[in-house]
Amino acid sequence: MLEIRNLHARIADGREVLKGIDLAVAPGEVHAIMGPNGSGKSTLASVLSGRPGYEVTQGGVTYLGRDLLALGPDERAREGVFLAFQYPVEIPGVNNMYFLRAALNSVRRARGEPDLDAGQFLKTVRAKLKLLEIGDDLLQRAVNVGFSGGEKKRNEIFQMAMLEPRLAILDETDSGLDIDALRVVAHGINKLRAPDRAMVLITHYQRLLDYIEPDRVHVLSGGRIVKSGDKTLAGELEKHGYAAFEAA
Amino acid sequence: MTETTQTKPYIDAFPAARGGAGDRLRPQREAALARFAALGFPTRRQEAWRFTDLRPLERQSYPPSAGGAAPAAALDALRLAGATHRLVLVNGRFAPELSDLAALPEGAWIGPSAQALAERPALSLLDAGEIDGAQPFAALNAAFFTDGAVIALAPGVVLDRPVEIIHLGRAEAPVSLHLRSRIELAPGSRARVVESFAGTGPYWTNAVLGVELGAGATLEHVRLQDEGVEAIHLSLARLRLGAGACYDAFALTLGGALSRQDVQVELAGEGARVGLGGVYLLRGTQEATTALLVDHAAPGCTTRELFKGVIGDRAHGAFQGAIAVRPGAQKTDAHQLNKNLLLSRRATVDTKPALEILADDVKCSHGATVGDLDEGALFYLRARGIAEAEARRMLIEAFAADALDMVEDTALRAHLAGHLQRWPGLRESRET
Repeated sequence: MLEIRNLHARIADGREVLKGIDLAVAPGEVHAIMGPNGSGKSTLASVLSGRPGYEVTQGGVTYLGRDLLALGPDERAREGVFLAFQYPVEIPGVNNMYFLRAALNSVRRARGEPDLDAGQFLKTVRAKLKLLEIGDDLLQRAVNVGFSGGEKKRNEIFQMAMLEPRLAILDETDSGLDIDALRVVAHGINKLRAPDRAMVLITHYQRLLDYIEPDRVHVLSGGRIVKSGDKTLAGELEKHGYAAFEAA
Repeated sequence: MTETTQTKPYIDAFPAARGGAGDRLRPQREAALARFAALGFPTRRQEAWRFTDLRPLERQSYPPSAGGAAPAAALDALRLAGATHRLVLVNGRFAPELSDLAALPEGAWIGPSAQALAERPALSLLDAGEIDGAQPFAALNAAFFTDGAVIALAPGVVLDRPVEIIHLGRAEAPVSLHLRSRIELAPGSRARVVESFAGTGPYWTNAVLGVELGAGATLEHVRLQDEGVEAIHLSLARLRLGAGACYDAFALTLGGALSRQDVQVELAGEGARVGLGGVYLLRGTQEATTALLVDHAAPGCTTRELFKGVIGDRAHGAFQGAIAVRPGAQKTDAHQLNKNLLLSRRATVDTKPALEILADDVKCSHGATVGDLDEGALFYLRARGIAEAEARRMLIEAFAADALDMVEDTALRAHLAGHLQRWPGLRESRET
């Protein structure tokens, strides 16, 4: 589904942050990418989702057989790529429901599905809200405005549940969550696991993986994947720390 | 009479346009013309005109229009849904066939200024201000005005439906339209007025409005300036509020090559309230100035100002807001905010809020911001599948939303939101 080959990327100041990433993710798989601060985790998420300000200097990314990097961020989303933001953006003046309906209908149109009418939309919304234990009142507010850290992260997974992506990239979705919120979010993510859906979990800590069992774990360090393994690799990291895996 | 290349064509045009006998305002008109000649066109060296580039008005002269006609279809985009009292002026003259003033309630006089001059001699359409004041275009207007709208309500009259005043300009060659309107609300009366300006061709709208609100009177006033792309629009509103009177105004500025609106409010009675809101959306090489002056002359009065500007391409916006608090105007509560969004690197804005406070027990604030569209928010929307143009439209609308919220009436707010949504600049992407 997703194939990353020798990906090099630099940020606006010219610093190269990704120095040759290779990664293949098949449908139905969950991959965890772990690494210390500054290892390039969030840059990888940004490059995959098309955030402006990054330049790919070498290598490429194929998604469902297409050149992912040639698509704009909205085209990627309509093709089924979803990024759960580490820092969800507050957008004053844009109502959450209005935003969500615009997003869902854009994605549905791209899939060749008809727009949902107000009734169908509300029904879908209610079902997914329950999954993430979100109150109705959150929807009446402006996008992420006045949300607590936990509410923002839950809102991200709620959006993912609404948009039903093929490939979800979750950027530090666990950061800033207390243990109860983490459990709710992890439960939501697990419910969204599906044979035709792949997920890439980007995380600093192992604790998210106590709730979501990955198929593969990769250690990112110095802009490269320095080790890959099954879920037991996360436990090793917890025991020995990242230092043992630092890139030479 | 002193003349310059700019004032001469207007001075020369006066005898033919306004020289006829039988005009009982003839002496005042002549005095106003002399005042215009003495003042000349404003220059950017004058503080009040510092940010307004009048060159489009100076490049050619605009002889007074001899009249014109417009089809009823020209009103389609402007008319409000539901019943209204409607007064339409084409090229500065009352168009009875397009108007509807059949259902006026007892105690309400609504009609064209020319008729008011004959029927309501007590009404002060012209005041000494034009003849010895400092605003040359108001003086020019006093000399040349052909017509306008008059609303006069007797004490306690509450209008059942909004008054719609539609000004249409139609020009093949440059012409000027001089409109003079007056709203007098006696104590305790109440009206909602929606003024719209639109048209085609190279015309210059030069409008002057005088408003007098008696004690406890309320006026809601919406202005939609959607003049033609070649048009010039200058308007001056002078208002005087009595004790406990309330003026709530909202101005949506979309059209015109060059436009400027001056609003001057005197809070003359204790506890009067004024709310001035507006949104200006500018593109191409449009030039628009909003100049507000609120004079707190009495204690316990309130001012709320919120203007939002969205400026694209090479357009230029200007906001000059002055609030003066006179000695003795204690318990004044005045807040002013101007926020601007620049959509392109060549778009510019000048913003100059100002407070002059000569009382010591007051609550006043002002602020101004200039920024770009939030790239983070744009990316967030796009990352959810919303196309760039649509995402930009959502953010621009969201930016303007809180100013639009100053319009209390839901249907009216929707009417304005519709005009805002049709702004072509919402569909254009960033020019670098």
